[in-house]
Amino acid sequence: MTQDESRSETGRESREAAAERAAIAVRPEEFQRHASGTREKVFELKGVEVLYGGVSAVKDITLDVHRNDVTALIGPSGCGKSTLLRCLNRMNDLIPTAEVKGELLYHGENLYGPTVDPVQARKLIGMVFQKPNPFPKSIYDNVAFGPRILGEKDDLDAKVEHALRGAALWEEVKDRLEDNAFGLSGGQQQRLCIARCIAVQPDTILMDEPCSALDPISTGKIEDLMIELKEEFSIVIVTHNMQQAARVSDRTAFLMVELDADEENRWGRLVEYDETEKIFTNPSDRRTEDYVSGKVG
Amino acid sequence: MVEETRVYYQEELEKLEASGLGGLDLVSSSLDRTLEAVEHQDVELAQLVIADDDRIDGRYLEVHQSLIALLAMQSPVATDLRLISALLHVLKNVERMGDQCVNICKLIPLTGNQPPADEEMVRLILTMGKQARTLISQAKRAFEERDVAMAQDLVRQDDVVDNLNRECFALALEIGDDVDKREWAMTMLLAARAIERIGDNSVDIGEQVAFVVTGLFKEFEDASHPDA
Repeated sequence: MTQDESRSETGRESREAAAERAAIAVRPEEFQRHASGTREKVFELKGVEVLYGGVSAVKDITLDVHRNDVTALIGPSGCGKSTLLRCLNRMNDLIPTAEVKGELLYHGENLYGPTVDPVQARKLIGMVFQKPNPFPKSIYDNVAFGPRILGEKDDLDAKVEHALRGAALWEEVKDRLEDNAFGLSGGQQQRLCIARCIAVQPDTILMDEPCSALDPISTGKIEDLMIELKEEFSIVIVTHNMQQAARVSDRTAFLMVELDADEENRWGRLVEYDETEKIFTNPSDRRTEDYVSGKVG
Repeated sequence: MVEETRVYYQEELEKLEASGLGGLDLVSSSLDRTLEAVEHQDVELAQLVIADDDRIDGRYLEVHQSLIALLAMQSPVATDLRLISALLHVLKNVERMGDQCVNICKLIPLTGNQPPADEEMVRLILTMGKQARTLISQAKRAFEERDVAMAQDLVRQDDVVDNLNRECFALALEIGDDVDKREWAMTMLLAARAIERIGDNSVDIGEQVAFVVTGLFKEFEDASHPDA
């Protein structure tokens, strides 16, 4: 940028001032993006540890998940990212030996408090799994399943349509709602599972490797859908596909495996948690840099 | 029917292209004011152009940072990758052209508050400046429309600027023995040279247009091997 060698010291200063102004003021898209993700916290994790049969799977996880953000959890296999995700809607309760320690707040309330009904929590915090898992029922019945169970049977047609539209599937299935869901393609089945999830009006959607069983086009559709869904919901996604985290998420948490001194026990630990752009352009921790650039992992 | 995916990424890329090429509009307006300052020996206007160059630098930094983020986060390939590479070059050219306007404006106080020593030389420089402005607009349009023929035509347009620059040089040689007059002429030659560089930068943008469209980078004119 120093075209003119005779540029004065003050000239350089004003250039730096310009750089600062540019960093602060001239990134409206960036500001809009973060304005859409409010700073309101959906989850606050403080020193969370998850153990299976008394053995730690992840330790010392402290992070906040913000509303209307897509938050990605990335890291190598066995780093505990799925375990961590499953804590967020008490899915680990279904495993008898699992135990969650530390503080895990959901909208400021202890998610593991004695008065919390796990079923109610899972209604508010829905989950989409790696492999599409529609019920062996019609497309309509899959989406209507949740509202029916919850006794919300008024305007069921409208609710189903709304959920299918929300999952960007309506146009493709509106003329065959009574067909069996297994007749859909893998990508459509996954969007059906997302529709089933949003039909019960959750506020957060957890996604565990939602695209790893899908082809690139279906993956692209789900990723676009995530960006649309975050207007209304908060999304936490586990992915082993770093580029997917980079493409869709606002914030990224990088976890890695840690070993004890005699290398007998291993557990996952949070290395870095920051805005996705920061993680992928200028991470603070060397280990994050090595992982996102594919040098380790 | 082919459904489009990754629409947000595409929109972001389009926005960045518009914003980067919009830098050329900033340069055009900077050049307009620079020429006005030259014509009227307007030191205050020249100062304004110098101060306003921060806006061009700000645009450079803003778009550059966003392009780097897009590279890191969206893994662009094929035409998108070429477009981003080309935009990074174009940004550099935009920033350089802005600096050339600043260079000219810094010369204006040096020419003193006297009327110009040679009206003909001022006229030549203003004509050069207008031609350079045409090149900037044409480079922008060629990029927007991915029009290689229009981009290649920039070489012809730039020849006009180069010829005017040589005429300026010839005039300066004949300006006479008066020391003040010679100093003035030397200063004006530097201004002419800065405009000549703006023309070259526009041609560079044209080369980037050809790269985006064809995937091959080739200099339209090789200054070090003019006969090749």
